[in-house]
Amino acid sequence: MTLIDILAFSAVLGLIVFAVYRVNEVLVYNWDWSRVLSYILRVDDETGQYAANLLLYGLATTLRLAVWGTVLASVFGVVMGLWRTSDNLTLRILSRSYVELIRNLPPLVFIFIFYFFVSSQMFPAMGIDNINPDNAAVDNRVFRLLFGDPQLLPNFLAGALCLALFEGAYITEIVRAGIQSIAKGQWEAARAIGLSRFNVLRDVILPQALRRILPPLAGQFITLIKDSAIVSLISIQELTFMATEVAATTTKVFETWILVGGIYFVLCYSFALFFGTLERRASKTRR
Amino acid sequence: MKYFGALKGIVVAAALAVTTLGATSSQLHAQGLVEEIAQRGKLRVGLSTFVPWAMRDKSGDLIGFEVDVARKLAEDMGVEVEFVPTAWGGIVPALLAKKFDVIIGGLSITPERNMTINFTIPYAHSGQQMASNIELAGDFTSLDDYNDSSVTLVCRRGATPCDFIPKRFPKATLRQFDDEAQAFQEVANGNAHAIVSSAPKPTFYAADTPDKIFMANDGENLTRGNEGFGLRKGDADALNFFSNWILFRTSDGWIDERHDYWFKNKAAWEEQIGSN
Repeated sequence: MTLIDILAFSAVLGLIVFAVYRVNEVLVYNWDWSRVLSYILRVDDETGQYAANLLLYGLATTLRLAVWGTVLASVFGVVMGLWRTSDNLTLRILSRSYVELIRNLPPLVFIFIFYFFVSSQMFPAMGIDNINPDNAAVDNRVFRLLFGDPQLLPNFLAGALCLALFEGAYITEIVRAGIQSIAKGQWEAARAIGLSRFNVLRDVILPQALRRILPPLAGQFITLIKDSAIVSLISIQELTFMATEVAATTTKVFETWILVGGIYFVLCYSFALFFGTLERRASKTRR
Repeated sequence: MKYFGALKGIVVAAALAVTTLGATSSQLHAQGLVEEIAQRGKLRVGLSTFVPWAMRDKSGDLIGFEVDVARKLAEDMGVEVEFVPTAWGGIVPALLAKKFDVIIGGLSITPERNMTINFTIPYAHSGQQMASNIELAGDFTSLDDYNDSSVTLVCRRGATPCDFIPKRFPKATLRQFDDEAQAFQEVANGNAHAIVSSAPKPTFYAADTPDKIFMANDGENLTRGNEGFGLRKGDADALNFFSNWILFRTSDGWIDERHDYWFKNKAAWEEQIGSN
């Protein structure tokens, strides 16, 4: 660390301290963290023990959305990405339309349209709306861990599907770019030794493409976690929705959003670290 | 959020489309909403957080005037109640898309809204109040002083004050916020002259920050509001049932008693939301 580094660091730190100090001058505000923090963990009046409160429930839903969103978006993205590079015209048109439709709509507009036009027709038709929440098949621990409160299942599914469709379009493009970045000679050589198209993809192209795909894919998954906040508009009770309720009830707006911002940061940053490890591992196995 | 400009258009479009789709399907189901609720054994109520109509207590449960009304209604129908907390901007489309049976959410009766949904007779009359910044508006003598191009007024997007402000104060600048608390903060910070919002929130707010905020118009309501339950169109039986329930519970004094509890005396329930 040189002297210039130290000076630069002190300057940045000084600016932050000054900004925090100025906030109290500009804002007319009584800070009170305790009320907001009690919406993460509360002390149960009867048992005297700690119990989870709204914000933790919201975080759990956000995590579920992130997991399902990531899994489904990867499936959509890989399938559509392969279609994008397919020789079949119909498949190319279908995947191209999917990507362009979603890429050229603001997320909020897409979610609104999907929720009120598509999922509100699709789920009743599939009978999801009529699932009895007290049924033993859904009212158990595993189900709750995976999907949350059975009563909110249609909402949750709509949110997860929406998010997956949305992010899937971007992953499609990442997968397509990854596959197309592999030199044509690899295809030709693999086909020349008699491998089928499927085998070429599985054994030759995708392993190489995966290493190039990983960094942009990591970025996209982190975006997915952050974007999960927009499904709060359709009343999916995830972190942002719960935060809105807590802020409205307590009127402690700044504490709520600073806290929730911190939670999102920790969540996304741990994801980034995890993907960093994956990338290093992938580059080590390079032959 | 930058996308919210498009929201109103989408809400209207979604509402119209869902009504059209709903019209064909409702002919297939002759059974009315009231029978449906009885059969299901559960009344599903859409609402949005709005102190003191509906809010979260310390353990995260819903409490408030609205919540009491919905619970009593369900009790009188002999069914359970399920609350569906919904973002305010999407509450009408969500009703039309059958996400719940009825909006009991402090929804003011307006002709515009009545074009898309049905309203029962009113169960509350809230009205709007104005809370002003002392430094900026302390020397204003009448409401007409607010009708000036140098004045900035704020409101919560999608709420009735946003329609009222341009009519009553056409010269003033109107800024809208997604969240009521943000709007209040703008007034406290001196970035806006006043907020117009449903009673009694401005009163509560002025009481919390007496050195910065005062009640314009001596705390008198600027308007008289009429809040009704919101229902999907096309079910006269359900409308009749809910309206008469309100009539019944207004006559026996129950609704007034609950309304006074939540609106007149904040000290009575402050402890439940852990307020100081």
